Parts: sequence; structure tokens; C-alpha cells
Amino acid sequence: MTTKAADILVAIILLGFGLLVAWDSLRLGSGWGMEGPKAGFFPIVMAAIALAGCVVVIRQAMKGTSSVKGGKPFVPAGGMKPVLTVFIPACGMVLLTEVVGLYVAAMIYLAAYIKIVGGYRWRTVLLVSIPIPLIFYWVFEKLFLIPMPAGMFGAQILPF
Amino acid sequence: MDILTNLLLGLKVAGEPYNLMVAAAGLILGVIVGVLPGLGGANGCAILIPVTFVMPPVAAVILLSSLYWGSLYGGCICSILFNIPGEPWAVATTFDGYPMAKKGQAGRALSAAFFAHFCGAVVGTIALTFFAPVLAAFALRFGPPEVFGVMLLTFSAFVGLVGKSPIKTLVATAFGFILAAVGIDIVSGELRLTFGLTPLMGGFNFIVAVIGLFGIGEILLTVEEGLKFEGVKVRMRWSDITSTFKDMGRYWKILVLGSFVGVWMGFKPGGATPASFMAYGFAKEGMSAEDKAQFGQGHIAGIFAPEAAAHGAGTSAMIPMITLGIPGSPTAAVILGGLMIWGLQPGPMLFVDKPDFVWGLIASTWYGNIIGLFMVLAFAPAFAAVLRVPFAILMPLLIFICAIGAYAVNNRMIDIWYMMMFGVIGWAFKKLDYNMAPMLLALVLGDMAESAMRQSLIMSQGSLLIFLQPPITLPLVIAAAIIGSWPWVSPLWGRMRGQGKPGAK
Repeated sequence: MTTKAADILVAIILLGFGLLVAWDSLRLGSGWGMEGPKAGFFPIVMAAIALAGCVVVIRQAMKGTSSVKGGKPFVPAGGMKPVLTVFIPACGMVLLTEVVGLYVAAMIYLAAYIKIVGGYRWRTVLLVSIPIPLIFYWVFEKLFLIPMPAGMFGAQILPF
Repeated sequence: MDILTNLLLGLKVAGEPYNLMVAAAGLILGVIVGVLPGLGGANGCAILIPVTFVMPPVAAVILLSSLYWGSLYGGCICSILFNIPGEPWAVATTFDGYPMAKKGQAGRALSAAFFAHFCGAVVGTIALTFFAPVLAAFALRFGPPEVFGVMLLTFSAFVGLVGKSPIKTLVATAFGFILAAVGIDIVSGELRLTFGLTPLMGGFNFIVAVIGLFGIGEILLTVEEGLKFEGVKVRMRWSDITSTFKDMGRYWKILVLGSFVGVWMGFKPGGATPASFMAYGFAKEGMSAEDKAQFGQGHIAGIFAPEAAAHGAGTSAMIPMITLGIPGSPTAAVILGGLMIWGLQPGPMLFVDKPDFVWGLIASTWYGNIIGLFMVLAFAPAFAAVLRVPFAILMPLLIFICAIGAYAVNNRMIDIWYMMMFGVIGWAFKKLDYNMAPMLLALVLGDMAESAMRQSLIMSQGSLLIFLQPPITLPLVIAAAIIGSWPWVSPLWGRMRGQGKPGAK
């Protein structure tokens, strides 16, 4: 995808969100209520600015007067793979957090990433992935008493 | 004098052993987040906010502001040794800093940068100490229309002066306000923009947005560009520091000019980046021809000017934050968000209600910058070593830490997902020139701006004329209109003048 196409696509998505906002603001009422402007007043002003802005952005992209260079690929060659190798495992960690809690998920995520993507020896992998989440566990849960998500089974896995 | 008594009070508060310890911890963490690309002061503060819940507000603000100063100091280590600007305002430093480092003068370049930071800090802190109370006293008279006028000026400054695409800045700002409006309307109590979805009812927290936009987004950009951390090794020698003193004696004018440009520009939102480039430009212009040729090859003044300006701007960004409740930089915005979480109402009343808090903060700025200078001078090589941790280990750790920060704000699992979502938004927006600083600021200030607008309209019973009321609101709104329309007016103006002169292109 060229940067120009991405520029237009993002503006169209934003345009869609702007329309949603405008629609909900109209539902709430954007005029003058019993005690001043209604709840939809401020959002609809902002939606109007956003919508008008998006139209200009699309027009600039079409005419090639946008500040970004339209002809270049949006993601440079060979750039998508590293982005996805970071993003997908990170999402995997968040998904795992829902099940086993943040600390256990972090251990699995760190170990898997350092081993598979980094290609380090098991000694390095274990020296990073086990102690560091445990240190954070101790600092947050014990020292500052800030609970982290335990997931469905996290409380059983880290019961201390 | 009133200010001096208050400053003494602040120095006593900030000088308590616990607060000094907190300041030192904040500085160390700050230098580390400043060194790491992808983690800046804003992100570091956002992640630390949950930790501050267990502290008294004074210690909490000292922790965050010290982290801020530390991140300013740390940023130049990255740009000089690795040629990677950790923050946009460190770009100008790479022009001369990295060439110097490659020539084996890394120690001299770093020492120059640190002392330049200190100069900027001193000028900025003097402004903070003596100008902030005056401004706060003036702002005490502000009602809702004036507050709205200040907000308008703030955001039009972003549109008119900052960023490559004014129209995209406007769109980003509007969406920042829209995100802030999601959830329960503070005035009527109605649910807005939730579309019947339960996760949306809690709204979007700006801390989560900071961590996503500036943390995850930056990490994605870094890996996409495939940055290699090939740093120059550094050793700080005593001779580096003494030679810096000589250089400072020679280029003191550039240091002072840079600091003042920084403080002046930093007062306005988003001013640090233009300030550092302006200072660099001024320094270059003021040089003799043979010195000018040296610029870009590793001239010491090319480090002095932008670094003094960046730190001066960073410091003076705290002035509107503490007096008006309008932060001048993303990091100041996060600190402002912290204030709200700790139950303090930002704005001029802080100077009246919480003198120990305000003056503790101001005094800790003095301490923090002095301690910070010695810290980076002594331990710069150690901090630079953080970047020698292999990226495949550093990166997952950063994401883990970001997740902790995002969750801890409200103890909501959905926030970690929002963080990932904001990460993608930050990645795409940065590539398409959407300016994220005003979006973030709009998210922080959304409630305040909206209630100022609605209260003003209630006061005037719906008449917009209340925003054109002298003596304060009218000039603010006129200034906002001029600055905000500048990107469109100035080419027109140029064309009109061009037509006036025959033969001009």
C-alpha cells in the first residue's frame, strides 16, 4: 500500500468515526437544554471540525499536496515483518493475561520472545524471563499493594 | 519578599530526606527512560503514576518532575552516542553531537550537552520561580470564559505553529476531545458516545493513551525502521569537563541565547522542538564563516544551543501547567493528569491552597537539576550501557512494563487492550504526520475545556459574545484566531505581496 492510499484510508476511517460521533450527539441533543448546552453540544462541534478536516485531508492526499510523500510505500520493504513479530506476540501476552494473569503471561512471553525471535541460549532466556516478572510481582503486589490482573487462574499459579 | 519566603518553605519541603531520595530515584529512572528510544519522559511518568498513589502529593510530584528532568538529561546521551534522537527536540543535537562522538570526542560532547542542559535548566527554573507566582496571581481572576480563551489559544498554537500538517493537527485535536467525551457527561450525567457498549462507559484514560501512543507506537516505529544501536563507546575524563568550562566561556552568549529561546518557546505548548532548531540556527548564524563551515561536522556550539533550548523549554513548560492548568509539553500533561488523580484541582488556586505543594515542586526543580547534572556527569557511561542490552530482550520487557502501567491506572483489563490499540494508532499517525501531542492534551483537558465552554454559555445564556469580552478573553481569542489561521493566511499574504511587486516570483 502506498502512503497516499494509507493516508486516504486513515482519513476515511476517521471520517466514519466522526459520523458516528455526530449521530450519537444528535441523539443526545446538541442544542440548548434546560440548563445550558446539552450533552451532545461539545461532541458535535468537535465532530464537525473532525469531519471537515478529514475531507480536506482526503482532498490534499488526492491532489498530492499532503505533507507526507504519497508515492512511497506506507510500510517500507521488509518493515512489516518486524512490526508484526513485535505486535502479534505482544497481543498474545495480553490474551494470555486474561487466562493466567499478567506475571505468568509475561514469563511465557519473555521466554518465548527471547528464545524464538532473539535466538538466545536457554540460560539467558531463563535468567531474564523468570526473575524479572517475579521482581515486579514483589514490588507491585507486596511493596506498593497495587494488584495486577490475575486472569482466570493467576491466583492459583502465584499464590504467595 | 514573598516569593523568597515561599521558596525557602519549598526548599525545606523538597529538602526532606524522603523527598530528596524520591527525587534521586526519579532522576535515575528519568535518565534511563530518556536514553531508551521509545520511552520518553511522558511515558515514564505515565507508567509511574500508579506508584505515586501510595505517596503524599508533594513526594509524588517530585518523583514525576525529577523523572522529567532526568529524561531531558538522558535524551542527549542517546542522540550523541547513538545518533538516535530519543525525542524530537534532540534531533538538532545529533547534527554535531554524533560527528564529535565519532571523532573520539564523545566525552567532551556529552559534558558540553550536560552543562548546556544545566544552563537551560537554571534560566527555566528562575522563570518558574519568579514568573509563575505572578502569572498565577493574575490568573486567579479568570472565570470560565477566560479559561476557555486560554484553551483556544493553546490548541490554535499547536495548529498554527507546530507540526508539518496543520489540518491533521486540527483533526487529531478534535479526536482527542471526542475521546475525552466518551463515557459519562460530567454535567448532565448522561452516557455519551458509548453506543451501548459496556467497556466504553468508563471512557478512555489519557495515561493509557500516552503509554500506547508514545510507548507501543514508538517501539513499533523503531523496529520498522530496523534501527541498529551501534553506539560510540564513551569515557568521561576530568579533562572533558575542564575543556567544557573553557568552551562555555567562549560561547556563553550562545548558551544564554539558547536558554532564553528555549524558555520563551517552551512556555507555549509544543515549543521545545522548534526552540531547539531555532537556537541551533541562531548559533550558526552568529558564527564567523570558518566556524560556520564546522557546523554539522562537530562544532561544540552546535551542541550547546539546542540542548540549552530543549531543557529551558522543558522547564518552562511547567509554568503554564502549574499556574493555568495547561501543560506546555506532553510530559507536563501527564504530570497534570497526576495532579487530578491525586485530588488536586490544577490552576492558580494551587498557589493559595497548597503552597507547600507548589513551592515543593518549584524547589525540587532546583535540587533535581543540580543533582541531575552531577549524576549524568558521573554515570553517563553506565546509563549508555542500558542501550547495549540486546533489543530482543529489551523490547519484550518494555512492553511488559507498559502493560503494568496501563493496567494499574484503573485496574481494568480493557485498558491493556486499549494500550495496544493506541499503539497502532500512534504508529500510523506518526507516519502520516498527525500530531499526537495536541491529541493527548485534548484528552487530558477535555473535561476542563468543555465545562469552561458550557459554563460560559450558561453565564451568557447562550450568547457567543461572552467569548469576545474585554479585557482578557477578547485578546486571547483574537490571538488564537491569528495564530490558528496562520498556516492559511501566511501563503495568501505572501502571494498578495508577491503580486504587488512587479517581477517578483
